[in-house]
Amino acid sequence: MPDGGKLLDATNVSKKFGEFRAVAGADLAVNAGDIIGLIGPNGAGKSTFFNCLAGETVPSGGRIVFDGKDLTRASPEAHARAGIGRTFQVPTTFADMSVIHNVMVGAFLRHPHRNDARDKARAVLELTGLRPDQPARSLGTPGRKRLEIARALATEPRLLLLDESLAGLTPSELQEAIALVRQIHQSGVTIVIVEHIMEVIMTLTRHVLVFNQGHVIASGTPDSVVREPAVIEAYLGRSHRRPPPDPSPANGGG
Amino acid sequence: MTKILSPRLVIVVLAAALLVYPLVLSGAFYRDIGVTFLLAAISASAWNIVGGYAGQVSVGHSMFFGLGAYTPLLFYTQWGWPPMAAIPVAIALAIGLSIVIGMPTFRLTGHYFSMATIAVAELIRIFTGTWDFVGAAIGLQGPAIARGWWDLTFRSELPYYYLFLVVLAFLLAVTSFIERRRFGFYLRAIKSSERAARSLGVPVRRTKMQALALSAAFTSVAGSLYVIKTGFIDPDSGFGILISVQMVIIAALGGAGTLFGPLVGALILIPLQSATNTWFGGGGSGLTYILYGGIIVLIARFEPGGLFDLWNRVAPGLRGALRKRRHA
Repeated sequence: MPDGGKLLDATNVSKKFGEFRAVAGADLAVNAGDIIGLIGPNGAGKSTFFNCLAGETVPSGGRIVFDGKDLTRASPEAHARAGIGRTFQVPTTFADMSVIHNVMVGAFLRHPHRNDARDKARAVLELTGLRPDQPARSLGTPGRKRLEIARALATEPRLLLLDESLAGLTPSELQEAIALVRQIHQSGVTIVIVEHIMEVIMTLTRHVLVFNQGHVIASGTPDSVVREPAVIEAYLGRSHRRPPPDPSPANGGG
Repeated sequence: MTKILSPRLVIVVLAAALLVYPLVLSGAFYRDIGVTFLLAAISASAWNIVGGYAGQVSVGHSMFFGLGAYTPLLFYTQWGWPPMAAIPVAIALAIGLSIVIGMPTFRLTGHYFSMATIAVAELIRIFTGTWDFVGAAIGLQGPAIARGWWDLTFRSELPYYYLFLVVLAFLLAVTSFIERRRFGFYLRAIKSSERAARSLGVPVRRTKMQALALSAAFTSVAGSLYVIKTGFIDPDSGFGILISVQMVIIAALGGAGTLFGPLVGALILIPLQSATNTWFGGGGSGLTYILYGGIIVLIARFEPGGLFDLWNRVAPGLRGALRKRRHA
């Protein structure tokens, strides 16, 4: 796995909606080759922070530097061009288009010509295991999440932001999805993943940030953060005290 | 497209039918329907680029149509230009207008965008009706008698028919080219989800602007063709809201965002419109509104994807039935 220098450096990022501080001074440093988890209870500010990283939300304060470039106020398009790919919490596939055409939209970013884009899309679909000619609207939730990952991968990102891409899956689908994320990571893509399901975080990530009320309240290895009292109190307590860890999908957004 | 009949065969048959139509049905009534049909198909296909593929439903495209119609006659009355010579000027003006209009209105989405475009077109119509330089409420007249072939003033409908057919073929060729290129993919992505398109690096604003400019250019050509044939324009026949609504309805009826949808829509609507006008005479001009209203309700309620969508769903079943019969 390639371990490199600092790829993403978000410092003191904050976002206010009126008087409400959704994110209050969050820091995140990601080295090339990392796979980092963001967890926290619903409404903790993970998604807002995540949207700041993807350029969809302009932070009220702080600085986001990716690969030496300041992207704090840059558009989502600029983020994609710079090499940040993302998925959405609620899958937003291009329903009227076929699977391969969905992926080609992403592939066109680095391959302006149709044949090159199609080749790229086919390669990505082979990795993610979707039938190219299927209409996107006929896919179920697992398929749509997979398609979103494929579409983002086709932009050839160096950093992939996964927003609850593994939520709502059955246990066997979840195992397949975890294997897919691991494969993507091994191919050299750095990953930041927001997830509710502790099993995913525990098996995939080496470093976890715990959000609560707009702050990062803990960070470290998955094993160490779950032992921190603040974390147990804020979020993990309930699910973690349950005798056998429950691998079933957690509900709700965050 | 389904392969109940090979798409290529359908296109060849359609093209052949359009080529021989005015020769077979040579009565003035039929030729007039033919010319009106082609003009409607051109306008709706031009609208389709931004309204259908990119899903930005403009209901103010008459602003480009009217610009295309007024410019040639203005240049003719003011400076004696042959109307056709001002077509490039009209195209340039339409592209300019599309940029001025697109910048603020593309900040809006959905119904708000549609309403903004209606408002602008209406403003232009009202303004034109009070501006003496462009004939105010009376409008402008073209050359009554041709000074030469270049005035394109013919007594027969036939030359207009073939001229319009060439323009329609060219527009469909351009659309088909776009459909298979990155630009076409981007348009469909934007229609489906701007948010997702942005996340994949699609320059959404710029792509929408380009689509609007291209659409405006062709809509303006439709206006120029209209005025070269009729030799007359006034605020209502240039900038009237019915002009815009007709484009939307024709495209939606056939299938917005499909290559041949507007053509199919025009094939149905124009003869229907001519028939109702003929049956009810001059007193039936309000019928157009009723017809449009009825079609809007039917499309919205039963076939939001238009007839093309219906065909794509029904055709596989038909094909199965046909095969069964053949084997029986």
